Amino acid sequence: MRFRAGVENVTTFFRIMQSVEKLQKKCIIKFTEENMQVICNNDANEGGIQVWSQIKIDSIFNNYRIQSNSNNEITVNLTCEALMGALRSVSTSSGTSNSASGSSYETDEVIIKLAKKNDQAVLNFEITGTTRVGRKVRIGHDVKIEVMKPADVVKLSEPMCPEPDIHVLLPSLQKIRTIVERLRSMSDVLAIRASQSGCLQLSINTESVKVDTEWKNCTIPQMMKERASQDDNADDPPPDPEHLFSVLVSVRSFLKFLSSHVVSTTTIACICQNHCLILYVYIGDVADAGGVLTFYIPAIIDDE
Amino acid sequence: MSQAGDIPVLKASVHDVRYLSALLRGVNFANRATVTVTEKGLVIVVEESRTLLGTAYIFSDAFDEFIYHAEAEAPEAQGSQRQQQTVNEELFSAFEIPLNIFLELLNIFGTAGGPATSKPGRFKAWRKPGDESEEHESDGGEGGGAQDEGSSNKKAKTGQFFGGGSERKTGMRLTYIGPGYPLTLIVAEDASGLTTTCEIATFDAEPHLELPFDSDQMMLKIILKSSWLRDALSELDPSCDKLTFIGNPSDVPDAGAHTARQRQRARMQAQPNFRIEATGTFGNTEMDYPNDRDVLESFECEAPVRFSYRFSHIARTIRALQTSVKTSLRIDNEGLLSLQFLMPSSTPRMNPVEVTSNFIEFRCLALEEDP
Repeated sequence: MRFRAGVENVTTFFRIMQSVEKLQKKCIIKFTEENMQVICNNDANEGGIQVWSQIKIDSIFNNYRIQSNSNNEITVNLTCEALMGALRSVSTSSGTSNSASGSSYETDEVIIKLAKKNDQAVLNFEITGTTRVGRKVRIGHDVKIEVMKPADVVKLSEPMCPEPDIHVLLPSLQKIRTIVERLRSMSDVLAIRASQSGCLQLSINTESVKVDTEWKNCTIPQMMKERASQDDNADDPPPDPEHLFSVLVSVRSFLKFLSSHVVSTTTIACICQNHCLILYVYIGDVADAGGVLTFYIPAIIDDE
Repeated sequence: MSQAGDIPVLKASVHDVRYLSALLRGVNFANRATVTVTEKGLVIVVEESRTLLGTAYIFSDAFDEFIYHAEAEAPEAQGSQRQQQTVNEELFSAFEIPLNIFLELLNIFGTAGGPATSKPGRFKAWRKPGDESEEHESDGGEGGGAQDEGSSNKKAKTGQFFGGGSERKTGMRLTYIGPGYPLTLIVAEDASGLTTTCEIATFDAEPHLELPFDSDQMMLKIILKSSWLRDALSELDPSCDKLTFIGNPSDVPDAGAHTARQRQRARMQAQPNFRIEATGTFGNTEMDYPNDRDVLESFECEAPVRFSYRFSHIARTIRALQTSVKTSLRIDNEGLLSLQFLMPSSTPRMNPVEVTSNFIEFRCLALEEDP
């Protein structure tokens, strides 16, 4: 089992971990030849929120080499905090804005590799840099990991979801977050509705207050219609463009997803009525997306 | 109820919610607030411990649109249910709303300015170090005799009450159809077409504590710039439990005291004209205000007064004090304290000329003291 790569885009890696860390303390990272998958699928998560992500190797790593007996894939279980700690000691120094106040060296290279120290598998970070006076520095971080057995890896499976009823391109997550934070104090359940005409609503409804926040003219990605027309039931009457598809989710789960605003450029939400809300958070431009974080938030089934 | 449904009792709108939310935030210390609607505007009343009464007066010209339509005459049987009454030939409607929810919703886009309004009941930090230091600077400049410029500067200064804020303005529209109906609030952002529609449940208004201030029995009346009082109160340690206001009539300088120095000496020897005394577990703090026009714009005191109040009640007024421009402090012979804070107001689109100033009033009963 061999793994070695240079980390090129530390900031993106750090931000991905930042948004994942809000969900659970430990996460699973599966390295394959093409991509890195960050997975949070703990049942104990608040409201059952899960993250499955695919990040292209090129968008974070360079000189990427991987070898293993199971299809050249390595799956590890690690503590987000520890990984972030290692990344932080790089990102603070390489970030241009922090370079003055942060550490006194310029990072030249960051290499991560799989290693074994005292019978403990670790992910070794080796940071080399140059100080102001031109001396070389080397910083090492060992992040304790647990390599998962291939048998356990097979058991990992993404949640099964029906064909979404509607896709909608979300407005800026930052803005949504401001709104949802206000709503959190008033309700535990949030309704998310969207229509083909481009209307998006976030609503709460409690005894004392009823709030609907509405965006008009949201982009409804067209791919849905194409796929629908390929379906067998293409001869169904065309859906009413004003019809709102809705799903109820826990406000707190939704806020956890919103913490991914640090990494997001484009986010598409898919509503599966009475089932779940799926959110695709694209990293980098949609055109050449470096990767996508997929959040699954299960629906709360309202008895009414 | 149905006959009231045709014409809403209240329709009001503003194009910038910041002034409105600054006013409401000033009285946001209890969850339930009674809103009274008259033709002249809105009165929002909040009370605590049957001792402290906070009232925000928002006059109709603070709104871009304000239409009050008195509720239809109720049948006798329902008379008690209805809040509509006739007092001094003036019609009014009253209802109760959860004030903190209303404020949160006004600030739903994070554009209402000021510190966050969340966490009702918990008292906010005394001041934000950042904006306080700015205020000090500007106050220092004006204290140096630029009294007249003060009013002309006022408009420019009001901007800083909202911490510079973003340029994006948020408008809102209020509709109240009548008793039994929710209060409908629409908050809209100017540019993006983003709107929030809220329906806030209303409750029948409960009778409130009445603390009539008898101005004939007024013992002390002081008008001063709010920053002078705010700086004093924010100096005090939050662990204080009692605050005493002491006023003494200003001595007319002796006929003999002609020179400024003599007058000054006389002033030094005399009792302090106005003193704030705080008592806590860890000690006392005394602060004296000179009867100087630069400090106290007006000072009227008939006889020596000394009344104490619970500090936690006075602390409730700080949020309003922080945003206000001018303060009037009055105490009557029974120790009832009336604090009126003049709030900055926007220039409405309708009639930019005559603007009635909105204000917040707090009335607080004095502590009974052992003689």
